Amino acid sequence: MEVDEPGKSVMASSGTVGSVSVSLHPLVIMNISEHWTRIRAQIGTSHQVFGALIGKQKGRKIEIMNSFELLYNDIAGDIIIDRDYYITKEKQFKQVFSDLDFLGWYTTGDAPDDMDIKIHKQICEINESPVFLKMNPQARHSDLPVTLYESVIDLVGGEATMLFVELHYTLATEEAERIGVDHVARMSSNEAGESSLVAEHLQAQHSAIKMLHSRVRLVLQYVQAVQSGELPTNHEVMREAYSLSHRLPVLQGPRFRADFYNQCNDVGLMTYLGTITKGCNDINQFVNKFNVLYDRQGMGRRMRGLFF
Amino acid sequence: MHEEENIGPMMEASTSSDSQTTMAQKTWEMSNSIETISSVDEIYRYDKKQQMDILAAKPWEKDPHFFKDIRISALALLKMVMHARAGGSLEVMGLLLGKVDASAMIVMDSFALPVEGTETRVNAQAQAYEYMTAYIEAAKQVGRLENAIGWYHSHPGYGCWLSGIDVSTQMLNQNFQEPFVAIVIDPVRTISAGKVCLGAFRTYPKGYKPPNEEPSEYQTIPLNKIEDFGVHCKQYYSLEVSYFKSSLDRRLLDSLWNKYWVNTLSSSSLITNADYTTGQIFDLSDKLEQSEAALGRGGGGGGGAGIVSGGAGFMLGGGSSGGTGSASDPHERRTEDKLAKATRDSCKTTIEIIHGLMAQMVKDRLFNHAGRGVNPAAIEVDSNGLGNSDVPMDQ
Repeated sequence: MEVDEPGKSVMASSGTVGSVSVSLHPLVIMNISEHWTRIRAQIGTSHQVFGALIGKQKGRKIEIMNSFELLYNDIAGDIIIDRDYYITKEKQFKQVFSDLDFLGWYTTGDAPDDMDIKIHKQICEINESPVFLKMNPQARHSDLPVTLYESVIDLVGGEATMLFVELHYTLATEEAERIGVDHVARMSSNEAGESSLVAEHLQAQHSAIKMLHSRVRLVLQYVQAVQSGELPTNHEVMREAYSLSHRLPVLQGPRFRADFYNQCNDVGLMTYLGTITKGCNDINQFVNKFNVLYDRQGMGRRMRGLFF
Repeated sequence: MHEEENIGPMMEASTSSDSQTTMAQKTWEMSNSIETISSVDEIYRYDKKQQMDILAAKPWEKDPHFFKDIRISALALLKMVMHARAGGSLEVMGLLLGKVDASAMIVMDSFALPVEGTETRVNAQAQAYEYMTAYIEAAKQVGRLENAIGWYHSHPGYGCWLSGIDVSTQMLNQNFQEPFVAIVIDPVRTISAGKVCLGAFRTYPKGYKPPNEEPSEYQTIPLNKIEDFGVHCKQYYSLEVSYFKSSLDRRLLDSLWNKYWVNTLSSSSLITNADYTTGQIFDLSDKLEQSEAALGRGGGGGGGAGIVSGGAGFMLGGGSSGGTGSASDPHERRTEDKLAKATRDSCKTTIEIIHGLMAQMVKDRLFNHAGRGVNPAAIEVDSNGLGNSDVPMDQ
């Protein structure tokens, strides 16, 4: 949206598109959340926190993998980031994560403001085009309250000023991370400790499918509403819905079927192995117990000698 | 506090998925509203005086079994998992920061140490001392006031237990750096089983015999490590692990799910774990060979009138050749144990791959069978509603 109060808004006009694609790891989100919670628990009220983001950058792809806190000094209302502290931390993380670079900084709060621009300028001295992450811990909506921005220099009122442009980001998918996040997210509901492994596994799948179903239903409701005339047609949405439904079935053809059945057969074979092993074990145990029972009835050592 | 005010605006969400989550969240918050305010987050406050008192009192000196539980924060867990995963098949090591609360240890955070190793050596920590002190110093400046409470390292693919070197390292730590805990995490098993594989241990002092031998949960250990495990497994005990998260974590994780469900559905554990599963089958075959040899030996020629199955050579008569009645029993138990253990390992592997296959079947049904008479209740579609799609989705 256009700037209504010059000097107040720091967002660039809505037409500007971000220049990089960002993938964010959930670990970073948890880091920031913990940082904010910790400071709040210690001070007693919620307080704005600041920190740095590190990760990998390959061309236009940025992957934010980790973060750490930054020390700052509050000088007459202006926040100045402590450079020496940053340099110490940089040396440290380079020792452990040698392939990660400094990518940007984060803070908590609502929409970006002037103070953020000032801090961003300081960060620009470390990295020419840093990414800025803002998380709102007191957000009222159920979406992820994390937004990413990058800066552009624009002409506002004849002066070159720095403005923020919102970046779209995706959540990085690392299998171990996903399992960790899943485990932590669901642990409060499984107090009793379900002993059924199958139930746990299927529960995860079920939740995911439920989400898929609700999303599909949403699209369906929209299309039905358009058809009945309740809502105006948005051709782009209709086109996307059409292409989506056109992509089903996803994979077909003899080669896929062959490979899929191969996989099923492999699993079947391994299951067979497991079942046979189990059967062998059961028989062995039965035979031993049988012997113990029937040996006691007086056959004893006399008869045992006969078997050798 | 701010959490309570969220209930109102969130109820106005109109989409079905939002209302589902809001209902669940509202019910949860209502039933726990008293706790939501600050006791969940109380744990994040570091009470320096209280900690100093506890450190001065040292209640763990008299009782080697003093610490019974350990509570790990969500963040520490994620960091450990990510670090262990980043190490690939190499062991990685790091330090834990936290505090003590009655008979529970609390781990608030963890950080990685720049130690590389194919073998976690006792003096590995000497190399990293400078890093450790510098890191903790820097952390205190930004409000991370906790002290080191333990160390963690990873056993990629071979389970959560302490090896001989780990035991001696931990004993040293417990002599000089009490209170200290050792955490072991296995990133490979975490991914293959779909559950976090983590263990927290404390060693007994040298020569101490635990009063009652508690049966520990069975773990699948690869053959080449089984000796190391067996020799030392009685020298330490494991703590009861539980996890905690803050109220903000909870909200963020809920919102995260809105984007993350795609990853859950699209993960294919059969493909991700193919190497590990193959390794497990190899290991299983070795174990079965061993148990077969042991059983065959004990049978003294295979048993006369008994049932002899081709490869396994089960013994009948319950006695080893030349052994007395009493001596045969522990031997028998050991050979039985071998086969029983091999069975448990094979069951574990089988369960994991079946889970993987279940996921694949689900995906196949969902995405490949559209138009072939899918359960009509799942997707209610009006056949006229979707343009000229040539995939009829109705029933």
